[in-house]
Amino acid sequence: MRWIALIWKSLMRSKRRTLLIVGSLILSVFTVAVLQSLLTTLNSVTDNPNSSNRLVVRHKSGLTQMLPRSYEAFLRQQPEVETVCALQWFGGYYQDPRNFFANFASDETTLFQTFREEFGVANITEAQIKDYLRDGAGCIVGESLAKKNGWKVGDVVPLTGTIFPINPRLTIRLIFRSPKLSAENVLHFHYKVLEEGVPRMKGLVGSFFLRAHRPEDIPRLIERVDRHYANSAYETLTETENAFNLAFVKMLGNIGAIIQGITAAVVVAILIVTGNTMATAIRERTTEIAVFRAMGFSTGRVLMLLLSEGVLLVGAGGLLGVGLADLVAGGIRGSLGAAMPFFTDFAILPATMVACLLGALAIGVLATFIPAYAATRRPITEGLKAVG
Amino acid sequence: MNGDRFDLGGGEPIITLRDVAKSYWREQLEIPVLQGIDLEIPLGAYIALMGPSGSGKTTLLNLIAGIDRPTGGSLEVCGFELNDLDDDELAAWRNAHVGFIFQNYNLVPVLNAFENVELPLLITRAGRGERRDRVEQALALVNLQDKMRNYPRQLSGGQEQRVAIARAIVTDPDLLVADEPTGALDAKNAEEVLALMERLNSELGKTIVMVTHDPKAAHHARHQIHLEKGVLDRSVEVNR
Amino acid sequence: MILGLVLLLPFVAYFAWLVWALVAYPVPLSYNLRSLWQRKVSSFSTAAAIALVVGIFVVVLSLAQGLSLAFVSSGRPDQAIVLRPNARFELNSSIERDKMRILKVHPLLKREGDQPLASAEVVVVKLFPMTDGTDANVTVRGLERMGIALRPQVRLVQGRWFRPGLSEAVVPRKMQGRFAGMELGGNLRMGGRDWRIVGTFDAGGASYESEVWSDVNDVMQAFRRESYSAMLARLENPERVEAFVQAVDDDKRLKLEVVGETAYFRELTKAGDPIKILGNLITLILTGAAIFAAMNTMYAAVAGRTKEIGTLRALGFRQREILASFQWESIFLCLSGGIVGSGLALFANGIQTGTTSFETFSDVSFAFTITPGLMAQGVAFSLIMGLLGGFLPAWRASRIPLTEAMKGG
Repeated sequence: MRWIALIWKSLMRSKRRTLLIVGSLILSVFTVAVLQSLLTTLNSVTDNPNSSNRLVVRHKSGLTQMLPRSYEAFLRQQPEVETVCALQWFGGYYQDPRNFFANFASDETTLFQTFREEFGVANITEAQIKDYLRDGAGCIVGESLAKKNGWKVGDVVPLTGTIFPINPRLTIRLIFRSPKLSAENVLHFHYKVLEEGVPRMKGLVGSFFLRAHRPEDIPRLIERVDRHYANSAYETLTETENAFNLAFVKMLGNIGAIIQGITAAVVVAILIVTGNTMATAIRERTTEIAVFRAMGFSTGRVLMLLLSEGVLLVGAGGLLGVGLADLVAGGIRGSLGAAMPFFTDFAILPATMVACLLGALAIGVLATFIPAYAATRRPITEGLKAVG
Repeated sequence: MNGDRFDLGGGEPIITLRDVAKSYWREQLEIPVLQGIDLEIPLGAYIALMGPSGSGKTTLLNLIAGIDRPTGGSLEVCGFELNDLDDDELAAWRNAHVGFIFQNYNLVPVLNAFENVELPLLITRAGRGERRDRVEQALALVNLQDKMRNYPRQLSGGQEQRVAIARAIVTDPDLLVADEPTGALDAKNAEEVLALMERLNSELGKTIVMVTHDPKAAHHARHQIHLEKGVLDRSVEVNR
Repeated sequence: MILGLVLLLPFVAYFAWLVWALVAYPVPLSYNLRSLWQRKVSSFSTAAAIALVVGIFVVVLSLAQGLSLAFVSSGRPDQAIVLRPNARFELNSSIERDKMRILKVHPLLKREGDQPLASAEVVVVKLFPMTDGTDANVTVRGLERMGIALRPQVRLVQGRWFRPGLSEAVVPRKMQGRFAGMELGGNLRMGGRDWRIVGTFDAGGASYESEVWSDVNDVMQAFRRESYSAMLARLENPERVEAFVQAVDDDKRLKLEVVGETAYFRELTKAGDPIKILGNLITLILTGAAIFAAMNTMYAAVAGRTKEIGTLRALGFRQREILASFQWESIFLCLSGGIVGSGLALFANGIQTGTTSFETFSDVSFAFTITPGLMAQGVAFSLIMGLLGGFLPAWRASRIPLTEAMKGG
């Protein structure tokens, strides 16, 4: 018999109790892992390393205000700028308005250069890009979006406009793969389609995405662009792409605070429940612990033995809970991601898993320590007398 | 032997108690349990400690076994002055020198006979193979090698107590302490256990101190000493 | 709903039996209460864990309710919104001035004197600085005076309403804490000019509490808008809405679409669905965890009292009385936790928060309102936990044979 066997058999003394507490732990840790992953997913939206040298220029008054496309010339002239891509959120839908995906009218000539990481440009051939550039009514879609709707290259996708009163019929010219799943839930089409179809959009665009040569140039660039257009008819607000995304995440409001609040409450609840269970388990074994100590187990050893039980119990619950969370992550990605685009990338990150496990182990130690310590403080003679 | 000492047969003393006292406090009231106990028990003795309930016999046994501390006097057991050992040293000392036999056997219900006997060896330096050999030897000694994989609830009371005895001797201690070892057994099983203890004493030379209030059990010991209201009765009965 | 009732039925029936048992049988209730007290640490820790879960339940419930309230209480059945076809939301919609003129004199609209009860409105989204230093998108609504009258749930709290042509704005009282510079008399910078805040309003939780209001023409000018976004209008009665929908649909000059106001907001409410579903799932899962914990405690309580229960049986208590008595013990345990937890939730009361509607890309602010109704739901919820968590242990207790009383312990 090894130590671990001794600990295991002690835990299995009351199988029902152990199962109930492990069940309770699995559900709690699962909840915490999922909630925390929602937070990390949200945070990753605003912390995308690929966008670190991209900037967004838009109207100072807000998303719904347009900028003149003529601004592009000035932006392009800046020595720090590599490319400029005019881009407008189209907000159309395919068949069902609930079937959400991002779709943009964008400048096809600079699109691939500006977002080369997102489009996985390395895997796209010149010929494919040419196909898209040649067809004014063409579009490109991400692979996961194409899969979801059963689209193939050459298919015609009718989009229904909500913001703009046009319903373009677009032919898929390219299906791209992206390292990030959320970046695949996207459709782009030629800017001309929007500009020519909607009179009020003539010469206007919602935003420009700039790609700077070096990230260090960005603060200077922001300052210069905004100063250049200050007090003009169309004042600009320039910010990094991450900061731009933050404004969207901010829209989810105090979700972070709510999640942290629930997490804290769950952690305290687990601590109490585990502590109670371990206290009951240890109390039941008062005599046995006294016998162990009489046989020569030092207080430290008894304490370690009991703490190991607590840690194993909570660790098992934690491991299974995190595992369960990882299993359902796909489901969450699908369901929540359909309603909120951020959550297309939902995943239980290794860091979250480790944090949950460490947290669970800490709870195991903490919850067991008080009853275990009390048990080792109790005189052996008293323990032997106890009925139990 | 001087008049203050009991004559428990010759030989080196394994247990020497000098003026040992033990009292408890209950609501600031001192309740003396043991007073002025002087006792020398030679190596290889088999002593039955008798006395009515409340006489302090279990307390005395606990003091000798090093699971309780005296409030006065000194104890030297198996070559160690117990007052000089801290709790951890005392635990290590018990593991090496004392084997415990309880009235309710106190086997761990979730461990089988083999594992129960193996328990005290877990904290020694013995490796896996050595542990197995010693557990098997101990179980052979109590004649239960065929019940090795049985759990306590699959054993009779007498068998349980024999497993407990195997557990007590597996570390090869010099001293065995037994608190009413037959208290929960029927006459036939009690007889078996007592016979086994006699063998441990005579064949393996274990020193045994047994607390009992059963005269029949006490009769199996070589000497009987009596405790009355915390004080030793001077008379020693020699059984054989 | 029907399914829910069917599922609930056994609980209600069982609970009714329990209440009846309390009256009809000699259930030794005081014995159970005293037993709970005897195992103080265990009882308290279980109750505390349940309190936390019930607290979370009530807070999540209030979140969902706050979200629904923000949208649902915004609509009236006798009002309709005119939009551009497929626009779905005001923000996406646009109505040219000449079409608006035709709409305003539509014969189906309700009139007060010679004034039609209709408001031509424009909706834009603007970034506003929040008190925490970041920015959030806020809807700015330009409306006509009639538009205020069409929204009876909107009430002026401080100051006065805006006057046309003066670049005046009113802000919701609830936005004042979350956004910077929204105090009465302050200035808002929008569309290249300064707007004086002349009043604050309250909309009883409706989504207007996330909007800055001003005169429609002022907003259109400042934001260089050529067209309105939508028109809100009242009909004679709710039955007329359908006729109005049909009439506008048939009018080939307009090419516009009419949506009943309640239906419009119902659509908007769906923005909160993912949060609601997530919230419900979390509570459901945590409830499972809490029930396991309660079960554990009750099993331990029963196991520790085998002899006592045997004695009770020997004294003449029947199995069903033992069942009821232990079930009540579990209910009391969970209920005490539930009451404390509902009380704990009060700490979240009044906390302002916001979320976004992905349909309108703008902030929707609402408050956690812990109402007595929600707290009662929390307590009822703990009762169900007590029923579920206590049933198996109580059943086990009731099966303990008489002979156990005689055994030594």
